[in-house]
Amino acid sequence: MSAPAVETRDLVVRYGDFTAVDHISFSVAPGEVFGFLGANGAGKTTTIRVLCGLLRPSAGFVRVAGRGYEDGERAIKAKVGYMSQRFTLYNDLTVAENLDFIAGLRKLDPGYYARRRRELLELISFQKGLDARVQDLSGGTKQQVSLAAALLHDPEIVFLDEPTAGVTPAGRERFWRLIRLVAGQGKTVFVTTHYMDEAEQCGRIGLMRDGRLVALDSPAGLKKSVFPEPVFEFDPLRSLSSSELSAYAAHEAFAFFESYGPRFHAAAAGPEAWARWAPELEKVFRIRPIAPSLEDVFVRVVEGRP
Amino acid sequence: MTFSWRRAAAVARKEWFHIRRDPFTLALALVLPLVMILVYGYAIDFNIKDVRLAVSDSDRSQASRRLIDTFTSSDYFRVHPVDSADDAVRDVAAERARAALIIPPRFEKDLLAGREGRAQVLIDGADNATVGPVSQYVGSIQALASRRIAGSDLTPPYQLRTRFLFNPELNSRWYVIPGLTVVIMAILSIFLTSLTVAREWENGSMELLLSTPVQPIEIIAGKAAPYAALAMLAMAFVYIIARTVFGVPFAGHLWVFGLGCLLFLVAYLAQGLLISVVARQQTIAMQFSMLTGMLPSNLLSGFVFPIASMPKFFWYFTMLLPARWFMVIARRSFLEGSDLAQLAVPFAALALCGAVMTALAVRRFKRTLE
Repeated sequence: MSAPAVETRDLVVRYGDFTAVDHISFSVAPGEVFGFLGANGAGKTTTIRVLCGLLRPSAGFVRVAGRGYEDGERAIKAKVGYMSQRFTLYNDLTVAENLDFIAGLRKLDPGYYARRRRELLELISFQKGLDARVQDLSGGTKQQVSLAAALLHDPEIVFLDEPTAGVTPAGRERFWRLIRLVAGQGKTVFVTTHYMDEAEQCGRIGLMRDGRLVALDSPAGLKKSVFPEPVFEFDPLRSLSSSELSAYAAHEAFAFFESYGPRFHAAAAGPEAWARWAPELEKVFRIRPIAPSLEDVFVRVVEGRP
Repeated sequence: MTFSWRRAAAVARKEWFHIRRDPFTLALALVLPLVMILVYGYAIDFNIKDVRLAVSDSDRSQASRRLIDTFTSSDYFRVHPVDSADDAVRDVAAERARAALIIPPRFEKDLLAGREGRAQVLIDGADNATVGPVSQYVGSIQALASRRIAGSDLTPPYQLRTRFLFNPELNSRWYVIPGLTVVIMAILSIFLTSLTVAREWENGSMELLLSTPVQPIEIIAGKAAPYAALAMLAMAFVYIIARTVFGVPFAGHLWVFGLGCLLFLVAYLAQGLLISVVARQQTIAMQFSMLTGMLPSNLLSGFVFPIASMPKFFWYFTMLLPARWFMVIARRSFLEGSDLAQLAVPFAALALCGAVMTALAVRRFKRTLE
């Protein structure tokens, strides 16, 4: 197997007394679509900033595209593309001006840049003119152009920090088609998202909580490892009071009980408890066995009781 | 890590697009100098020309008329006769006149008898701004009048000429407008840079810039260049207006003045940058620039209040301010025609200010990124 595209061992980032990233270790293979999930403030963006060469870690080993901080400030930056969640393109500039600017900062050869730009605009099937101001583009198109900007220098790895925030569902779908295309070209895509349907499309997912990497597997693998117990959907036959609900949430029959739209998803605590309580629960709920969703995984691992 | 001109140029080019599309920046750069030079150039003067003078002549003699004529023909006073000394005082009190001339009944008789002729001038002391110049005019006119009254009617021409040499209102404008270059330059440089860099922090684009191999010094140079060009353009604009509209002489060397402009610009651009790195928000950056850039350049540079008459502490304190040194360069370039050697001290001080400020800004910028 070839060398990993991204590798960290015991990566730590501290801001004064606060530990934003706490000893995380993982590796990502070339060509992988790697999803990074976690609540806001869990340390996702901080980790990405380290991996993009923007933030020197307090401790630990980092290797991105075969390079580390010991190779100089800019060694990593040259090898990766980054799309930030806060800012993508300058609104008052045209598409061409934005791309020219990035090309200038990366000192791309003019001939190469012209070719690459055409190629990427074709990839995102950009319809508007290059002279269109960014502020006149739709949110989805803007994100796609921004992706093109991050790919201009043909990086081995591209980091996308919540690339689809504020984009319509159709726009999100188009964007993910692009992500698959880019990964198909052999690039590693490292993406954070809050959308579970997007996370479902990743090859593997890392879950972060309070600066720690608490789970790392494929979506199917995570569901299996996080929910070893059978999982059921509970559809209430009558409306439940909030005190009843909190009683169920703490019920000894359940290892997990969370609302899921108007229904509930629950995991059995154990066969004996389940057998004992099932008849009584069936008076209140219509119960059917289901496979756990990624959202269940997220709720249990990231938001659930530690 | 070597400095890349190409990256700096890319930043400069992008910044230029921002400026071109932002009417506020362009207006500030081009309209503000125009407005300021017109306001300072005209408003400051007009108060001191055509001062209304209430005249009560109880003597009505040849001597008293001659005295009044001297005032009338001076251009500085607009004489308006009143009936009595009391009326004259009332006019000054009611601000219908800035000053009053009261000539008593026995004015000429006293003169002819070889005694001292006494006439009284009242100046409105409440208006601080005009007291100085008006009393100066009065003094000079008095000297002229006494020669005319005492001497023959055949006043020698050279005495008339002394009246034109005495021309403080023109001088004050000559003094104000070169000083104004400092104030305008200060506003343009510190204000615009601090805003533009703070904007990058505020909207998160700095992060994107830094994810490329660009270096802080390249960002700084690239950002500063278009604003420096804009400020130099504004300066050329001010220079032309000063020379053509106000006829301010320029006795010195343009290149010396230009070099001073550049050095001052570097110091203030760096200061603006330092502010933006610390403040990171446009509104805060704006207030900081007002406080540390525009206020000192107005109040502590010698533009309004002479540094020589400041308390010792401020006298030393102003030495830290680039504006003080550039003020010296500007005024002496315009009026005295000093060359580089004569201006060595202010130039050295200005260069030092600029170097220290740039070093601070770059260091602070690098530190924030870590």
